Amino acid sequence: MTAISAVSALQAALAAENAAVYGYGVAGAYLAGSKQAAAIQDWTDHSEARDTLSAMITRLRAAPVAAAAFYALPFAVHDSRTARALAAYLEDGVTRAYLGVVAVDDQRLRTFGALAMQAPARRAAYWRGSTQPFPGLVSAP
Amino acid sequence: MLVASATTLPLLLAASGCRSSDAFDGPDPLAGRPSPGHDVVVLQAAISAEEALISLYVTATATAAAGSASAAGPELLDSLLAQHRQHLARLRGALVLPPGASPGTTASPGTTASPGATASPGATASPGATASPGATASAGGGAGGQGAGRGVVARLRTAERASAAAGLRRLATVDPALAQLFASIAACDATHVAALAALA
Repeated sequence: MTAISAVSALQAALAAENAAVYGYGVAGAYLAGSKQAAAIQDWTDHSEARDTLSAMITRLRAAPVAAAAFYALPFAVHDSRTARALAAYLEDGVTRAYLGVVAVDDQRLRTFGALAMQAPARRAAYWRGSTQPFPGLVSAP
Repeated sequence: MLVASATTLPLLLAASGCRSSDAFDGPDPLAGRPSPGHDVVVLQAAISAEEALISLYVTATATAAAGSASAAGPELLDSLLAQHRQHLARLRGALVLPPGASPGTTASPGTTASPGATASPGATASPGATASPGATASAGGGAGGQGAGRGVVARLRTAERASAAAGLRRLATVDPALAQLFASIAACDATHVAALAALA
């Protein structure tokens, strides 16, 4: 198996965080009450994670990937139900990206990736209303 | 008949273009079964720990079915138990042992044996194989009723938290694909901790 580059794995995680920051901006507009408060908190968490990843990538002497001005949504968001589905989708993407970090050779980065994927996995379960057996893994045999 | 002795074998190998080191490199096939590799040892420990957690859930679901204050409790516990069984199947699927070798564990997914009592001595001596606090306790603990239900849930949460932490310790030194499986299972355990909070 080809070793995964630490920088490329972190860049993928950063790209997922950027997408989540954008996506929560959309989802939050269709939520109210405690759900909207949760979305705002999640948006804050993703913004902080984005800054953390950017700093890590810079320390590795690479330029952090920039956020896009616009992201194509995976489906139309027009109410609370689809907003929650979008939030779960975004969290799945972030979880998957951090799982990529777990494949690098550096043990500290592996542990970082494994720890970092737990928060989006929990948030995905919250928005979906159920837990998944293998967060981040595309499919189970 | 050609008989190779210690003195004639190097000559035969030289004549065939082989060096003697080509013939004798690697483990002696007659020296007995080689000790399992690091990943196998770590994987066996993970399997043992997952079996212990499943045993804890089996006992907990029986307790919940007997009289939980929360109607949603048994359904949630069944769901979480099913996911742990999926973990166990996936972990066992990753373990490839030579024919005749013991997997190092004895429990079946549905066992009702006392939690933590099924790990083999070899598995418990392995890195990261220490049983979680919740897995070593009796899941039924105490008198029946709502109080016992909360106690069971508290033990499950403790066991899930310990399982997630153990998964993080295991993934540092193994093959990347196995590390990702451990990380994914640990993340699932973390979601279980949050889900169980609803029953606490």
